[in-house]
Amino acid sequence: MNLTLLRFFSHEFKKRRKKSALITFALFWGSLSILLLLAFGKGMSAQFRISFSGLGQDLIMISGGQTSKLYQGLPKGRRIRLYPGDIQYLKERIPEIALIAPESYNNWPVSANRKEINRTIHGTTVEFAQMRTQIPQMGGRFLNASDVKDGRKVAFIGWKVGTDLFGTENPVGQKIVINRIPFTVIGVLKKKLQDSMYQGPDADQIYLPYSAFTQIDSQLHIDRIHIQPRETRLSMFIEERVQTLLGKKYRFDPTDRYALSIWNTIDNAKEAGAIFMGIEVFLGIMGALTLLIGAVGVTNLMYAVIKERKQEIGIKMALGAKRRVIIQQFILETLFIFVKGTFWGLVTAFNIIHLVQLVPINYDGFGIEGYLLRPVFSFNTFLIFLVIVGTLVFMSGIFPAVRASRLNPIDSLRYE
Amino acid sequence: MNKGDTIIKFNKIKKIYHMGTQTLEALSGVSLQIAAGEFVTFMGPSGSGKSTLMNIIGCLDTPTEGEYFLEGKNVAGLTFDQLASIRNKMMGFVFQNFNLLPYATAWENIELPMLFNGKNTKKRKERITELLNEVGLLKWKEHRPSELSGGQQQRIALARALANDPPIILADEPTGNLDSKSGIEIMELLSRLWKKGHTIIMVTHDDRLASHSQRIIHLFDGREADA
Repeated sequence: MNLTLLRFFSHEFKKRRKKSALITFALFWGSLSILLLLAFGKGMSAQFRISFSGLGQDLIMISGGQTSKLYQGLPKGRRIRLYPGDIQYLKERIPEIALIAPESYNNWPVSANRKEINRTIHGTTVEFAQMRTQIPQMGGRFLNASDVKDGRKVAFIGWKVGTDLFGTENPVGQKIVINRIPFTVIGVLKKKLQDSMYQGPDADQIYLPYSAFTQIDSQLHIDRIHIQPRETRLSMFIEERVQTLLGKKYRFDPTDRYALSIWNTIDNAKEAGAIFMGIEVFLGIMGALTLLIGAVGVTNLMYAVIKERKQEIGIKMALGAKRRVIIQQFILETLFIFVKGTFWGLVTAFNIIHLVQLVPINYDGFGIEGYLLRPVFSFNTFLIFLVIVGTLVFMSGIFPAVRASRLNPIDSLRYE
Repeated sequence: MNKGDTIIKFNKIKKIYHMGTQTLEALSGVSLQIAAGEFVTFMGPSGSGKSTLMNIIGCLDTPTEGEYFLEGKNVAGLTFDQLASIRNKMMGFVFQNFNLLPYATAWENIELPMLFNGKNTKKRKERITELLNEVGLLKWKEHRPSELSGGQQQRIALARALANDPPIILADEPTGNLDSKSGIEIMELLSRLWKKGHTIIMVTHDDRLASHSQRIIHLFDGREADA
């Protein structure tokens, strides 16, 4: 395509500015909706992933259950409990495990600052932090190896526990009393989105070194084992190995699905990911359909343009324009109209998305806004948008263009 | 092709138009020959087929029957793009109503045929300047057709017809929309081109214009009147 020919098209295009105003608006509207729908869809699934990882990253959580099968002469309905020794037992036998941590919990009164509340107190080890996304706020920390080894009386608390007990004061360094034993707060959990939980949101929990927890609680078993595989694809394998190894240790049928309760978040995340992908595609299609209305308008306009410019097409043909030149001109003009309409849609969508992102999310009351207020305008979104627009330009331009190129030069020249 | 060789040869050319149930025979078996470098005028009443004849010569239209040899090559069966290429390189059209692109400047109008065969910018610039000088409108190069007089517009159209230096100039009532002074100027330009070796084929009603040509072919009811 020659630059001078491009200049010709721009002359021609300017003449049609007013006529194409409504269609430009339809394209603006269509592109705005397609971009917003894509961005909100993407944002929803991203937020879902974040809130899902609020519970933990690639986690397998195992707790004791009740046997449902006879095994080696033992009756069904036996209670299976996990014990601290299982951690070492599994770690040694399953090298595919990257991280493993025990967790025990119980409800105890917690007091500080002349206030008393009831909260779930957990005992665990250092690895728990990484697996369960326990990120401390500035100025604090999670439990460390010495805390666990020495049974130090320290506590890592959820942000709501902090405000419940200390208000706006910084809880780090303060004393709290759990079951009449004083503990020092060493860190407060950073705010996060969390949509899956077992003892309520992490915002409400208190974590102690496992060795300190056993000093206030007399239970011997542990409630839960957290495992993170070296690679996510190993999760099913690890699940089976745990079932076999613990089955051997506690004498239950390794195929008994009720002897242990296993929560594999990797599997759940995969499933949910597929659902959200479906939602994204659906929203994208909705947007594309809206833009399609604009595209139909463009096709109509282009047919009208052919009629209006019949003589001009005839002149060009008489001067030796090949079919390709006429087709190019019409496709290019379609492209111009699209670029003009969709550009403002793009700018507007971009701004709306960035404004919405500024709205703060309330991490305490978990609601739909957590999913809706973080739309994502990614390069991928833009790419998908370009592909859709490109397809529509071609589809809405090619038919009028081919018709124009098939005009009879004589009829066109005579047309007035 | 040398001067005097047959550049255009019609062999029993027929053109039949179908309009609903009616058929109209615009040309009913025209045979003629035009030599390279000749100045030929077609005359005849309206409906005699002169314009149809011009269109077929100019490859804007194809005959229903008969053979058309252009420089010895049969034009029948050529594709649209091949015909477009012939129009671009071999034909220069001058129309009664000028047919300039209204939004383009004089310069751009002359440039257009050269854009269709990919001539480079430098060559285009040289050629346009040369042509504008020849028709005496160089200082009007940035004007649009609506800012030019009829005579000036037709001179630009003539310059455009010459852009690719085609051997054949087809002028369909070239002075029909002009005052007599402008008409004379155009005829002088056409005569000058003929003397330079172009083959000029003109359609007119006007005997005085026809007198500029070497040969007059009268058409009547789709055939040559003297045939």
